[in-house]
Amino acid sequence: MNNYILSKKLFRNELSTFYSFLIGFIIALFVGSLILLIQDKNPIDVFSLMLKLSVGSINSLSNSLNKAIPLILAGLGISIINSVRLWNIGAEGQIFMGALALNFFYINSSIQNSALYIFLLLTASFIGGSICILIPALTKVLFGVNEIITTLLTNYIVFGLTIYLINGVWKDPASLNFPAAAYVSELVYLPIIVGKLSSGFLICIIFTLLAFYIKDKSVFGYEMRIAGGSELTAIYAGISAKQKAFLAMLIGGGFAGLAGGIELLSQTHRVSTGISQGFGYTAIIVAAITGMRPLGIFLVGCLFGALTIGGSVIQTIGVSSYIAEIIQATTLFGALVAQFFFSYEIKKKVENG
Amino acid sequence: MTVPILEVKGISKTFGKVKALDSVDFYLQKGVVHGLLGENGAGKSSLMNVLSGIYIPEQGTIKIQNKKIDRLNPELASSLGIGMVHQEFRLIENFTIKDNLTLSKANIFLENFKEAYLKYSEIFSLNSSYNTLVKDLSVGEKQKVEIMKLIFKNSAIMLLDEPTAVLTPQETSQLKISLETLSKEDEKTIVLITHKLKEIKDFTETIFVMKNGKMVAENLQTDEVSDKHLIELMMGEIKTISIRKDNLKGETKLEVQNISLINNDEVNVLNDISFNIKSGEILGVAGVSGNGQVELANVICGIQQEFNGKVLINSNDVSGKGVKSRKKLNLSYIPENRLGVGLAPGVSVLDNSAIREYFKASYGPHLSKGKMVNYLNDLIKQFSIKAPDVKAEISTLSGGNMQKLLMGRELISNPEVIVAAQPTRGLDVSAVESIHKLIINQRNEGSAVLLISEDLDELFKLSDRIIVLYEGRIIKEVDIESANIESLGLAMAGINE
Repeated sequence: MNNYILSKKLFRNELSTFYSFLIGFIIALFVGSLILLIQDKNPIDVFSLMLKLSVGSINSLSNSLNKAIPLILAGLGISIINSVRLWNIGAEGQIFMGALALNFFYINSSIQNSALYIFLLLTASFIGGSICILIPALTKVLFGVNEIITTLLTNYIVFGLTIYLINGVWKDPASLNFPAAAYVSELVYLPIIVGKLSSGFLICIIFTLLAFYIKDKSVFGYEMRIAGGSELTAIYAGISAKQKAFLAMLIGGGFAGLAGGIELLSQTHRVSTGISQGFGYTAIIVAAITGMRPLGIFLVGCLFGALTIGGSVIQTIGVSSYIAEIIQATTLFGALVAQFFFSYEIKKKVENG
Repeated sequence: MTVPILEVKGISKTFGKVKALDSVDFYLQKGVVHGLLGENGAGKSSLMNVLSGIYIPEQGTIKIQNKKIDRLNPELASSLGIGMVHQEFRLIENFTIKDNLTLSKANIFLENFKEAYLKYSEIFSLNSSYNTLVKDLSVGEKQKVEIMKLIFKNSAIMLLDEPTAVLTPQETSQLKISLETLSKEDEKTIVLITHKLKEIKDFTETIFVMKNGKMVAENLQTDEVSDKHLIELMMGEIKTISIRKDNLKGETKLEVQNISLINNDEVNVLNDISFNIKSGEILGVAGVSGNGQVELANVICGIQQEFNGKVLINSNDVSGKGVKSRKKLNLSYIPENRLGVGLAPGVSVLDNSAIREYFKASYGPHLSKGKMVNYLNDLIKQFSIKAPDVKAEISTLSGGNMQKLLMGRELISNPEVIVAAQPTRGLDVSAVESIHKLIINQRNEGSAVLLISEDLDELFKLSDRIIVLYEGRIIKEVDIESANIESLGLAMAGINE
């Protein structure tokens, strides 16, 4: 007989999310070590090399932070949408759409050497991300279609659109057989702050604070929380739950679109399939690990950026870069299990028929 | 008297501390329509769940066709011919009528389905082909299929839980004829579970009455028993402690004029409702739940914006306007559904405390957490709410404290009009007492109060006037001085002499 039941804990430690993350990360390092040992590599050597090559110098640190930018921005977008308890699985598509929209605006405008022009380009990428999530947002609020499915499906559509454009109308003849659009002018590159660190990182900091403000300190954030808690309560309070959900989705999509724009202007400098290397999916992990907290997303985003860089450099000593992805995924898994045990307890069943 | 087809003796069942069934005796005669009458929570459904093998009673014996059954389970009950129609239908919407009817392995009309369907669809006057999908049927038609399902799986004993709750008056009288035919021609034993007095008198031959988990009357002959007697049995003694009602009444605060509302199923849920409430007055709304109370509150409070008629607060017409227009005129609404409507589950105590007036804590788009915390601390102090951690989820509060937070939030601004629906449902005695005090204080401060309740004790204690809602109409209106519990009980059951 099953004499034990799970019951939800009434009170949770405020730092439980942080502890869960630590536990998850330790488990992940342990699992990663085991895999390295099976391959006859010394985990301590590998990890210290990863550490050195991802944060050991200004250049490597700035590489890591550059990698963190799309993770953080897309993660923030996901967390804003989660304020109304909706899931955005479409950040990957929104990142691509942001880059496509930026390129579209770039091609159809006269290039200027000004900060305002760069600002307009990035605005276009934000709007691109919003447009990408527009159909899932509309079908959600009008017909109640599950947004997890629709946002996921838009990824494939946008990826297909990207392939179509870079093989067709946007194809750069100079790129020979490699499908890619033409490079953008150096005039619109995002300036470097220090080492290789793109000024996109500053935008990232500003948007982290913005997301924090929206979620925690604004009337809109409050209304989103109530609407997410119960649609009926929102209606009772005179809050349009559907309107909040719609706006949250457009804003969240825009954050991810901006990530695509920054990636284009600071890293790839042209539209290609390399605009995102699964950032939109890793961002889901980042957002989920932190319990959707913007400041946490910033920190974990930086860590995951460093892990990605560390993972790519250890290939030189014959270790697969997948070790970084294994650590990222296992961290999420461990953190979610830990969060579960912080939220629930196992109790002996009380007999009540 | 012949041997009963089903007989239970001394059935007891407890849930935690609550005695749902207290040594209940019940017996059924073959081919007879029985009525089981009782208020909500009297134990009717628990008894039916015992008979259909879902609940295992702690004590008592069950005999079916004079054979003692040791341990009944749903499968056994079904094979012994006990079938039940629940209030929520258990039909597969995407299947045809035929598929639904023949789904059970106990199906007896496998070979001659067509003839059987012809016969019973005529008895039920169901005018649909058996290839129709169930989802394309009306609620009344679905119910017919649900009852026919019992016939097709050869249930001799048919337990029908509130079958008329979803039916129009025409469909109800049709059902009556169908059930009569079944009991006479097919010798089906039928139990009609209801709290509607009128139907039990119309449908049944013999009546059982339950109250507080006990069987208070057995096998009353329907044509010999009076309505008054049944009401007394069902409601028991009601203590009518009334508080001082000689408070000053001022000018009219809330006016409701000729409100009618038709819902999505095209049922007339509100029918030409008019009343007004003065400052310092409590108008009680009595009625069995589901007779239009929720809809009436939603119309007055601006949640339901499309309706016929007018709502005026302090002579301002707010018909067609939303919730915020009511808030501006200082109307408060304490909804029946505490957690889910009044409070948002999964959201913090602090956030929930600000739902009524959060815009007062804002500067443009900025929301001042300091102001929200101050506001909540005022609530906690003034209404003695026990909230151990205001950042924790609302469900960390007890039911009584949740209701105090909700009441406090709605009352602290000293509202002009209060709509309170079932404000004490599910609360313990001391919490009930403090909620009553809050409502009375508010009345003495000059609020106009609309109190919707199923609890007649509460209505008698607090109200200055009482109206009774039955099927969306005001069937009775009385001053508290001239009110009498029996005539109110009859009115709640749809009988107004």
